[in-house]
Amino acid sequence: MSTATTHTAEHPAGEYHGGLLRWLTTTNHKDIGTMYLTFSLIMFFVGGLMILAVRAELFSPGLQLMQPEFFNQLIGVHALVMIFAALMPAATGFANWMLPLMIGAPDMALPRLNNWGFWLLPPAAILLTLPFTLALFGIGDGALATGWTFYAPLSVQGGMGVDFAILAVHILGISSIMGSINIIVTIFNMRAPGMTMMKLPLFAWGWLITAFLLIATLPVLAGAVTMLLTDRHFGTHFFDAAGGGDPILFQHLFWFFGHPEVYILLLPVWGLMPHVLSTFSRKPTYGYKAQVYSFIAIGLLSVVVWAHHFFTAGMPVPALVYFMFSTMAISLPLAVLFFCWIATMWKGAMTFETPMLFAVGFIVLFGIAGLTGLILADVAADAQYHHSYFVVAHFHYALFAGGIMGVMTGVYYWLPKWTGHMYSEKLGKLHFWLTVVSFNLTFLPQFFLGLAGMPRRIPDYALQFAEFNAISTLGAFVLGFSQLLFAWNIWSCVRGGPKVESRVWEGAEGLEWELPSPPPHHTWEIQPVIK
Amino acid sequence: MASCTLETQTAPSAEVNPVAWLLRSLFPPSALLLPGAASAAYNFNFPEPVTPIARETLHIHNEFMLIITVLFVVVFAIMIYSMIKHRKSSGHAPAKFTGPTGALQWFWALIPFAILLFIDFVLMGIPAVQAIINMEDTQTKADMVLKVTGMQWKWQYEYPESGVKFISTLATPRDQIANAEAKGENYLLEVDKPVVLPVGKKVRILLTSTDVIHTWWVPQFGVKRDAIPGFLRETWVLIEKPGIYRGQCAELCGKDHGFMPVVVHAVPEPEYLAWVEAQKAEAKAAAGGADRTWSKDELVAEGKAVYEKVCAACHQPDGKGLPPAFPALAGSKIVSGPLLDMNGKVIKDSHVDRVLHGKAGTAMQAFATSLSDVELAAVITYERNSFGNQAGDMIQPAQIKSLR
Amino acid sequence: MTPAFTDADLARRRAASRRLGWLLGAVVLVIYLIGLFIKR
Repeated sequence: MSTATTHTAEHPAGEYHGGLLRWLTTTNHKDIGTMYLTFSLIMFFVGGLMILAVRAELFSPGLQLMQPEFFNQLIGVHALVMIFAALMPAATGFANWMLPLMIGAPDMALPRLNNWGFWLLPPAAILLTLPFTLALFGIGDGALATGWTFYAPLSVQGGMGVDFAILAVHILGISSIMGSINIIVTIFNMRAPGMTMMKLPLFAWGWLITAFLLIATLPVLAGAVTMLLTDRHFGTHFFDAAGGGDPILFQHLFWFFGHPEVYILLLPVWGLMPHVLSTFSRKPTYGYKAQVYSFIAIGLLSVVVWAHHFFTAGMPVPALVYFMFSTMAISLPLAVLFFCWIATMWKGAMTFETPMLFAVGFIVLFGIAGLTGLILADVAADAQYHHSYFVVAHFHYALFAGGIMGVMTGVYYWLPKWTGHMYSEKLGKLHFWLTVVSFNLTFLPQFFLGLAGMPRRIPDYALQFAEFNAISTLGAFVLGFSQLLFAWNIWSCVRGGPKVESRVWEGAEGLEWELPSPPPHHTWEIQPVIK
Repeated sequence: MASCTLETQTAPSAEVNPVAWLLRSLFPPSALLLPGAASAAYNFNFPEPVTPIARETLHIHNEFMLIITVLFVVVFAIMIYSMIKHRKSSGHAPAKFTGPTGALQWFWALIPFAILLFIDFVLMGIPAVQAIINMEDTQTKADMVLKVTGMQWKWQYEYPESGVKFISTLATPRDQIANAEAKGENYLLEVDKPVVLPVGKKVRILLTSTDVIHTWWVPQFGVKRDAIPGFLRETWVLIEKPGIYRGQCAELCGKDHGFMPVVVHAVPEPEYLAWVEAQKAEAKAAAGGADRTWSKDELVAEGKAVYEKVCAACHQPDGKGLPPAFPALAGSKIVSGPLLDMNGKVIKDSHVDRVLHGKAGTAMQAFATSLSDVELAAVITYERNSFGNQAGDMIQPAQIKSLR
Repeated sequence: MTPAFTDADLARRRAASRRLGWLLGAVVLVIYLIGLFIKR
């Protein structure tokens, strides 16, 4: 029990284990943050390669590259990898690196839990993708082919890829729960004297709500996939009407987790935005309290709107009306956030370095996601949009333009702090413009495909969908390959570059900017006091 | 008829979507055409609506698009104005405010939210509630019922009033999908036997499924509803205009999810009634066939047709299957096993048992519910005597009838 | 920036964190178990 407290004595600042053992056994929040972020970047490319294969198949009508079974495996695993292995670890990596620096804590509260939380991720990622490799050797019939939603009874019928995915989701879930517990207790117990909850950086607030959402909803997902597992192998009939079960029960359980998951992915990014906007506008954050209350409101609302993900499954009129109006209600706290972001920029003295460009790109494109989400809430119109490419376009505006571009904002914003070097501004800006243009080239046509009637998750399509699919594929390849610039820029920045001050950005405010760049291995051993 | 298909229709003049109009002016369809697929004329909106629900949905969609476009333009015009005016390089000194101060500022800060509240729950909310009530009212003044059953990967249609029942599967040749042959005009949106519905009648559609969840969707009808195994869901259509309407399964349902289209022929009522009579006569003739004794060659010939329509998607035309999910029939122990037991009853887990009752937890469904006695007898006989299988025996439609 | 994190203070904070951590873990387990008993 005392190792945690004597940790500092065992490994004084600046002294490391060498090599692999250091990374396997580290309990240092900065090391673990770095591992999370590296893992996330690798999995971002893995998931990206999968979807490029899919887009290549969809370049023209007819089956060119793959059979439908393999296509179905790629789309589902792409989603699981991007959500659980790229976006969530990126946000956890940010939290690990930055939360202790921002709240003046010497480390996360539970360092060994932290290590464990990270090291569960690589085995889970391997489990998720292993069936692809096994199939090459003639074992099983490939990975999960049901889409990331695991809908029963399709998933009851599926091959062993489903079992691998169920196991992977359990492990990823445990990892996320551990991360969340650690973040909650760190924020509650490790703040420097004087940092009251209402002085907490908004990034910490965003993460706090995310962590609570994870704790409330991940067990439900775990329960749902456990029930799926027993339906598959142990003769239960939770989701089988023939045995008194109900396939729609699975959808209720899944989306009770699935909808909050969207906000789990986005809240850390929403928390980060005010920091970036305020820094590059050289002006304090507008509406701090309003944003905190909006985070809380969105967190609460997110667990009571789940059924809008399956309006077409059929439900009573009062249920339809309730889920429609509760979903629309989320637009209000979300509008508060947009208002505060723009008001933070208003009458500032703005400069547009790469993080600011990504932040502005995020606000505009995420705006499209929010607005299309508002009309998707409408049950009648949703009958047309649902299960179509309109929805695919919508959630990529939310999760790529919202989630991933938000993470990129954070990476460019904090990279100089982490490494002590400046990244290449020129490459960063090129990366931004290529990303924004090719992102829209990829996903804007998908709105029109959906309106014209193209269902999602089909490996081949009717001729009237050909042009927009071709454009979308071209966009996707530019988008995919531009991310190599991102990786290269990070790599070169880690390796070297112009040295930066502790306050990297002229307008940056907060405890993290009072530490040297890069911060030493152990920070805030002397408590800062917040006035 | 062809003039009513998805591809060749023109946008209705009654509804003009400003976003669509803008985009169409910016990107004329001809500029988007790539060689090889010149048949498509692009729409930036829903296809032409032909039911009251679809018209209402298009109207709502257009109204919403207008609202969110205005919101988008206004909000980001303000932001872009600020990004141009309040730059450090133009010497703008940063202000220090962190929130509204004074009643007037609070008033202006709250105005956008009042507007949004009004848009959400009044401007968008009220028409939406009306549309929901309308959409869910499947029973008032319904003229007829159509039962739709989704199965991997085809649709079964049943008219309970007249007893007509048939399966509708993809008609696009496999060579077109494999790019070995030029693709036809209705590639992937054509079926062997379309469902026929009368124009101007309210059709109550009941949906269910035999295996996994499917979704029945015809974009021009504005309805999309899941077909859930073990449960009945419903929706309705009232088609206002004769024509051929095409759609697809919209819920991922396994391997051939992309290959189970919906095609609806909407015809005037007299034509519909004549069609029903013809179907009944055909069914009667087929039922008569069940009572006579068939020769093996007849059964094999009929069985080949049934196999290619119903079984080949999984077990493949050559009977080799796609193991492990879809086992081979060629050389299969089950197929070459005994046909029936000594008393002429079904042996558990035998070939006949599998075809009639399916295998739980797999894509192999119980075909007793969807195929006729003749079709079952024919396909079982065909499988036992093809792909190198040499069981040599056969089963008569009359036997199947007694085994049900 | 005067007071250092004393060992005693740190130990107190970590003990509080551990207690809350176990509590949250128990909440997770309870939600999971309740989930398994959900029936239509």
